[in-house]
Amino acid sequence: MRSLSFFFVFLLSLFPILCFSFNPESPTDRRVLVLLDDFSLKSSHSIFFNSLKSRGLNLDFKLSDDPSLSLQRYGQYLYDALIIFSPSTEKFGGSLDLAAVIDFVDSGHDLILAADSTASDLIKNIATECGVDFDEDSSAMVIDHKSYAISGTEGEHTLIVSDDFIQSDAILGETKIEAPVLFKGIAHSVNAANSLVLKVLSASPSAYSANPESKLLSPPLLTGSAISLVSVVQARNNARIMITGSLDLFSNRLLRTAVQKSGSQDKYDKSGNELFVTEISKWVFHERGHLKAVNLRHLRVGETDEPAMYRIKDDLKFSVEIYEWSGKSWEPYVADDVQVQFYMMSPYVLKTLSTNGKGLYHASFKVPDVYGVFQFKVDYHRLGYASLSLSKQIPVRPFRHNEYERFITTAFPYYGASFTMMAGFFIFSILFLYNK
Amino acid sequence: MGRASSKEDAGALFHSLRSAYAATPVNLKIIDLYVGFAIFTALIQVVYMAVVGSFPFNSFLSGVLSCVGTTVLAVCLRIQVNRENKEFKDLPPERAFADFVLCNLVLHLVIMNFLG
Repeated sequence: MRSLSFFFVFLLSLFPILCFSFNPESPTDRRVLVLLDDFSLKSSHSIFFNSLKSRGLNLDFKLSDDPSLSLQRYGQYLYDALIIFSPSTEKFGGSLDLAAVIDFVDSGHDLILAADSTASDLIKNIATECGVDFDEDSSAMVIDHKSYAISGTEGEHTLIVSDDFIQSDAILGETKIEAPVLFKGIAHSVNAANSLVLKVLSASPSAYSANPESKLLSPPLLTGSAISLVSVVQARNNARIMITGSLDLFSNRLLRTAVQKSGSQDKYDKSGNELFVTEISKWVFHERGHLKAVNLRHLRVGETDEPAMYRIKDDLKFSVEIYEWSGKSWEPYVADDVQVQFYMMSPYVLKTLSTNGKGLYHASFKVPDVYGVFQFKVDYHRLGYASLSLSKQIPVRPFRHNEYERFITTAFPYYGASFTMMAGFFIFSILFLYNK
Repeated sequence: MGRASSKEDAGALFHSLRSAYAATPVNLKIIDLYVGFAIFTALIQVVYMAVVGSFPFNSFLSGVLSCVGTTVLAVCLRIQVNRENKEFKDLPPERAFADFVLCNLVLHLVIMNFLG
C-alpha cells in the first residue's frame, strides 16, 4: 500500500515533464486544436493532417459546436495553435467565440483559417480582425476564364490555377514549387497600407469574384491580382496567421490531381498544392523563419564590463547574437543587413553589423558629441522572418571639469587680455606716480 | 542758412571741447588713456566671441570682466584724484591711489581664478 502511494507521488512529479507545454526555447508549435464542421474532413483531408502529425504536431480534432471547447483553462492556454476548417459555423461551442480567438492570436499563438463558399459571418469577422477582407457577397466565388484547370467536365471555371507566389524562401521554402496550385473558393483582399499582411498566392489578372450561377449585372468589386487566394499575417508579437478562401486547397482531391492550365500545354502529374500547404504550414507553426536575438552587449574599448554611463567621444563596441530556429535547434543566423542605431529622438549613429558566421554580430563606433540618454536599437524586419526589436538605454555624459585640455586654444585671446590688463595696470601705476 | 550755422556750431563745439580738455592736468590724461586702452581690449574680446562663439564662457567672462573692472577702478581713481571735484577735497590722493592698488589686486586674483 505504501509502495503504491509512493508510485503515485512519483508519477505525479513527472507530470510537468509529460505535459509538453509551449517552450520559448523551442518555438515550434506542438499542440494544435483543429475545428471541423464534421468529421468527414478528417478523411477527406487526411494527407494534410498526416503530414502535420509526422512533423510531431499533436492534433486535437473537435467539432466546432462541441460544448466542451475551450482554449484556456485556469489562465493557461491548452493549445499552441488553432486550425479552423469549419467555414459554415455560425457560432462556436463551449467558451470559444470571436473574442476568444482574437485573444488567442494576440497572445502570440498561430492560426490557420480556411473559408469557402459557405463561409459564415463569424469566419469572415475573424478574418477581418486579422486584416483580411473577404468578399461581402456570400454567393461569390473566384472565377477565372483564362487561368482555370482543364478537367473532364466543362464547369464554371471556378477551379482555378495560380502560380503567382510571393518571393520568399522563408515562407515557401527553398524548393521552387514547379506545378501551379489549384484553388476553388472565395476571394479576399488585403489592405495595401497594412504592412503586416502578405499575399502569398494571388489570383491572375484575369480573375474576378462573382456568383457563378447568375448573370453578371455590374462590374465585380474584386478583380485581377488584387484578389488574394492565400494570405499570411505576421503580427508584431510574431504570431502567424494563414487565411485562405478555399478549404479544398488542403483536400486530398486537389492534392493528388494532375493539373493542366487552360491555354498552356504543360501538364503536371501532381498539383503544387501538397508542397505549397506543407511549406506554408511549416512557416505558420514556426518551424522556419523564427529568429531570436540574445546577449545584447556593449562595452568601452579596453574594458570587459558594461559601463553604466558613457562619456561623449568614447570608443565603444556593440555586439548581439542572432539565431534562427531550424525546426529542431537554434542555428546561427547569417545576414549582412542587420543594423544598430544609437538613437535619441533620431539615430545619431547607424551602423551595419558584421558577423563572424556563428551568429555573433558586432560593430564599433565613437559616441557622438551630444550628451543625453541614448538607446541602442536593433530593429530587424524582413519578409517572412520574425521581427526583432531590441533596445537598451544608456546615458551619455559630457566632459567633466578636469577632462578638458589644460589650456583651451579658443580661449587664448581671453588669457592674453587678462594678462595684458595686469601688465597695463603695472605700467599705468608707474606712469601715474612718477610723472612730473 | 540753418545748415551752415549748425555745421559751424558743431565745429565750434568740438573746438571748445578740445581746448577745455587740453587744460586738464597730465595725470588725469594718463588715467583717461588707461581707460581707453581697457575699453578697447574689451571690445576686441566681444567681437572675437561674436565670431568664434562663446565656448569657454568662463574665460570670456573673465577677460571681459578684467577690462570692465579695470575701467571702473580707474574711473573711481580719476574722480577721487581730480582737484576740481568738491566732494573729495579732503581726501589725500595717496589714499585714493592705495585704494586703487588694493582693489586691483583683488580684481586680478578673482580674474586668475575664473580664467580656468
